[in-house]
Amino acid sequence: MVRMLGNISKLVARAGLGAVGVGALALLATPFAAGATTLHHSIAATSTVKCPAGTTATYDPPYGVPASLIGEDATTKRKNSGTPYSSVQCYNAAGKLVAYGNNAILYTYPSENLVPLGEKLYQQNCASCHGVNADGVLPKGTSGAFPDLGNLGPATINFWITTGRMPAADPKEIQASRKPPRLTDSQANAIAAYIDSLGPAVPGTPEVNVKGANLTSGQTLFALNCAACHTITGGGDALASNTYAPSLHVATVTQVAEAMRVGPGNMPVFSGNLTDQQVRDIAAYVTESIAKPTDIGGVGMGGLGPVAEGFIGLALGVGILMLVSFWVGERQ
Amino acid sequence: MTSHHEPADITTVTADAPQMQPLAKDVVSMERWIGLLFLLGIAFFAGFGVAYWQDGTFWLYGTLLGAGLVAMGAGFIAWGKYLLPRGPFVEERHTLASTEQERSAFSAALMERGAGEIKRRSVLGTLLGGSLGVFSIVALFPLVRSLGPLPGDALAKTNWKKGMNLVDINGRKIHVDDITVGGFATVFPEGLQNTDEGQAIDQTFLIRIDSADFTTMKGREGWAPHGYVAYSKLCTHLGCPVGLYEQQLEALVCPCHQSMFNVRKGAIPTFGPAPRPLPQLPLSVDSDGHLIASAGYNEPVGPGYWERP
Amino acid sequence: MTATAAPRTKRQKKQAQGPYGIVGSTVEALDERLGIAKGGRTFMDKIFPDHWSFMLGEIALYSFVVLLLTGVFLTLYFVPSQHLMKVPMNFPYKPLRGDTVSEAFYSTVNMSFNVRCGLLMRQMHHWACDIFVGAIVVHMARVFFTGAFRKPREANWLVGSTLLILAITNGFLGYSLPDDLVSGTGLRIADSIMLSVPVLGSYISFFAFGGTFPGDIVIARFFIIHVLLVPGIILALVGAHLGLLVRQKHTQFPGKGRTEGNVVGSPMFPVFIFKTQGFLFMTLGVTALLGALAQINPVWQFGQYYAAQISYAVQPDWYMGFLDGLLRIFPAWQWNAWGHTIPLEVTIPAVIFPGIVFNIAMAWPWIEQKFTKDKEIHHLLDRPRDVPHRTAFGVAFFSLLAILFIASSTDVLANFFHVSLNTVLIIMRVLTFAVPIIAYPVAYFICVELQAGGSIMGKRKIANVVTRTEEGEYVATPSAPRPGDAHVELDATPVPTFIVEGPAPESDEAELVDAEVDEGVRTASR
Repeated sequence: MVRMLGNISKLVARAGLGAVGVGALALLATPFAAGATTLHHSIAATSTVKCPAGTTATYDPPYGVPASLIGEDATTKRKNSGTPYSSVQCYNAAGKLVAYGNNAILYTYPSENLVPLGEKLYQQNCASCHGVNADGVLPKGTSGAFPDLGNLGPATINFWITTGRMPAADPKEIQASRKPPRLTDSQANAIAAYIDSLGPAVPGTPEVNVKGANLTSGQTLFALNCAACHTITGGGDALASNTYAPSLHVATVTQVAEAMRVGPGNMPVFSGNLTDQQVRDIAAYVTESIAKPTDIGGVGMGGLGPVAEGFIGLALGVGILMLVSFWVGERQ
Repeated sequence: MTSHHEPADITTVTADAPQMQPLAKDVVSMERWIGLLFLLGIAFFAGFGVAYWQDGTFWLYGTLLGAGLVAMGAGFIAWGKYLLPRGPFVEERHTLASTEQERSAFSAALMERGAGEIKRRSVLGTLLGGSLGVFSIVALFPLVRSLGPLPGDALAKTNWKKGMNLVDINGRKIHVDDITVGGFATVFPEGLQNTDEGQAIDQTFLIRIDSADFTTMKGREGWAPHGYVAYSKLCTHLGCPVGLYEQQLEALVCPCHQSMFNVRKGAIPTFGPAPRPLPQLPLSVDSDGHLIASAGYNEPVGPGYWERP
Repeated sequence: MTATAAPRTKRQKKQAQGPYGIVGSTVEALDERLGIAKGGRTFMDKIFPDHWSFMLGEIALYSFVVLLLTGVFLTLYFVPSQHLMKVPMNFPYKPLRGDTVSEAFYSTVNMSFNVRCGLLMRQMHHWACDIFVGAIVVHMARVFFTGAFRKPREANWLVGSTLLILAITNGFLGYSLPDDLVSGTGLRIADSIMLSVPVLGSYISFFAFGGTFPGDIVIARFFIIHVLLVPGIILALVGAHLGLLVRQKHTQFPGKGRTEGNVVGSPMFPVFIFKTQGFLFMTLGVTALLGALAQINPVWQFGQYYAAQISYAVQPDWYMGFLDGLLRIFPAWQWNAWGHTIPLEVTIPAVIFPGIVFNIAMAWPWIEQKFTKDKEIHHLLDRPRDVPHRTAFGVAFFSLLAILFIASSTDVLANFFHVSLNTVLIIMRVLTFAVPIIAYPVAYFICVELQAGGSIMGKRKIANVVTRTEEGEYVATPSAPRPGDAHVELDATPVPTFIVEGPAPESDEAELVDAEVDEGVRTASR
């Protein structure tokens, strides 16, 4: 009971008073309203998709994922979806796929030159769980069942490493938590190169071009697809069986796109039913509007909603006014 | 110190009576403090005026307004508390009840002039009561009955019919290759994706849990081609959209009250307050490879209600 | 006071007006026509007890004033329509540009972004609502625990409880108006609760929404109920509440010179007026500060409500929390037979339970009378400890509601303490029974202990002087009270009609006042 009360008071403190105190400073720096900017409403034009220098482009409307990588005839897919954007596939001189995508998202593959470095980093940081061959097979006598990495694309590897979830702090955790990454972005890229060398897979690491993003569409799609778990203000919350939806406030554009296309852990995969434009819109909405909320009304209280507001209303509103009545009246 | 005259509510008190003294020990400095509070109030209000006129930032003028009100209020209170007579004062409490005689006179007047009259003419009284009763019932008709249509069987039906295409919020048909295992989409009957009815009643949660044909429970063979299952997105508890899907647990969770449903086993509730499984929509694939409904829902969707069988 | 000639000098003018100047002549003019003097003075002399706990109701009253003032401002901008429109492309908040939203939602965000002071008024309105209901509850708790509801004040207790229900109702209605994702979800749940009523449910739902949820008229209807019907009733009931208060006079705590036959405190004019007006401004000020510094209900971040959209962690405002909490932890029971369904998992927590709660609350004066057989009139208050059973019941009752309120954030708790939702739910189910059952005896025994402790509580401790006798024995003797230690309480005096300067009038002005006193007395005694 005492502990419960203590915990509740901690919760109150976190939700309310702390937020007011810290936020009051941040508030001073908050500009009143966002400046007007032009919106790019229409889906992007077709001819601007560019391959990295030194590669050959093959334009392949309408879908973009090379058929060789998904094992089916990509061009017959989505016949009626009418996806109105062009796509490109870029091959290097050796005929290896370097990038594919469109002008919303270009999915890239790391350079082959990074493979030796990546292998070294892999053996140092990952092999103890995922096995020396990255197939999830551990030497006899070692316990644990960890995923086979061989069929994962660079986006997956990049997501888990750059969000700090891998290498895991405690491999027995039900859900790996986001923490400051132990490996740098370039090291992550190298490991992705090594995994890719074991067998090509989709998706590549997404390079999201947020310039043309439509935040309005992002908001609508976020409310329909993402808010059910991450909450409409992106704070995240507890889910079934000790899992949770993480806060989106620190996610980068790339990580949002990766998570949507890959579906890490319990997160669903958003594949063909969302176009790259839509993924880009959502990623832009998350990183621009949710991570930096327009709290024009004062301290935002972390978007915790009416319960936190109720605590403030009772603790600060009714509380202060009760103190005033304590002053006005007699206390004897 | 106090003198009572006739009638007793005229009283005098000398100005040096202890009850007439201010509570403040140092009256002059208290006057200064209160004056300072009022000055602060004036300054804050003026600041608010300037901030409003100059279209200052929201928090600035709000704070100035609030601070001015607090300062002025505090001064006002302090004046009343510290400078006005400290009291205590007393007033007598007179009994509110009337005398026995007055009471019976009132009751008698009520009975004899009104109720007694009605009693004497009991037939008329009954008729008056009857007409008042009928009036109060018919008065409810325009007030209540006009408010909306009768429910009929509207709650038992959805717009899903055999052969209808599943489309997403943008009206795109869902191809069997669109969604990979572990993915989902919210789907509507084609053409209704932008209507209130389509969104509020027909909304359906389409999940791909497997790559091959699949059966969630006995009697639903062939309902889940290519591993696609479709459940009504309305929670059977309070009708919130059950939009929270955890792909490894294969669990749907209602974001409102945390009911959990087992997607692989016909969405039977596994936890929380929802009493019934989510109704499942039988699916099939048309010749183009798009998902269609092979029938409508075979039970009412959404929360429970009296007429629900 | 007879004017002989037209007054020429300032002094003459002043004299012509009588000793009370313009005030005196105004009173005379009004009294000749309306007879205000006698009643007006009785009213001015009304005594308000000084104890701080008597101010709690004023917090509620003045936050209602804030609600009325800010609410009027909001109605000048709010458009209660579910008609869809396009947000202009130059709207300041980018994620809404070009979006299709209802006029209700657009007018709400528009007044937040484009109307000067609009957001301040909106936020003050919402904070004042949170404070309003909170203050009513706190005030009600004071009345409950001190027994102020006893005969002859049962009717005022009923009026007050009705006001609480109306306040909660209107809070929910107002919360539903902006047509954002969170309020729409609340409406969806409200619709399902209506549906859960046996036999009549679907009719109630269809008549409220003008058809199936969400329909296109519910916001227009809720709007007029929210701004006219309920506030009108609240205003009338507040009038009745205060009227009964004046008629029956205040209760008071027992103390020196306080009996069942009098009221001790400060007179309405000028002491109480000063304090209470200051309190009104303080309430306005605190609400304005909250409205300026703490953001509440940022609907632009939630977006327009569409029935297929949902956010996790949506909760109602705090005063509805106990209902939401019980809905979460209630078992999945439904009754289904003879072709009919009663969704008990909704009907019991959302219809029957609040019915029981508010019925117990409203019937409490009579429930207590059943137990105590006390039919006497009471004007002196109980100390909570002196009525241990009532106090214990109140503590148990409030703790039950508090646990249910906490249960409305099971997900937040699970996330915060990193435990599973299932565990939190089971803990909450246990606590719902355990806490009130434990709270009752604990509160009871604390009361009994406090009674035994006598009247030492709350008084300053007296120092003991320990001396060592010549034999080496230590003797403790209470020290003499220090100056200022003794609690001086003056005798209460009737509110003076006339204040007489000093014991021995010296100046001319004093004589004048004295003369007026005599005349006044004569006039009054005629």
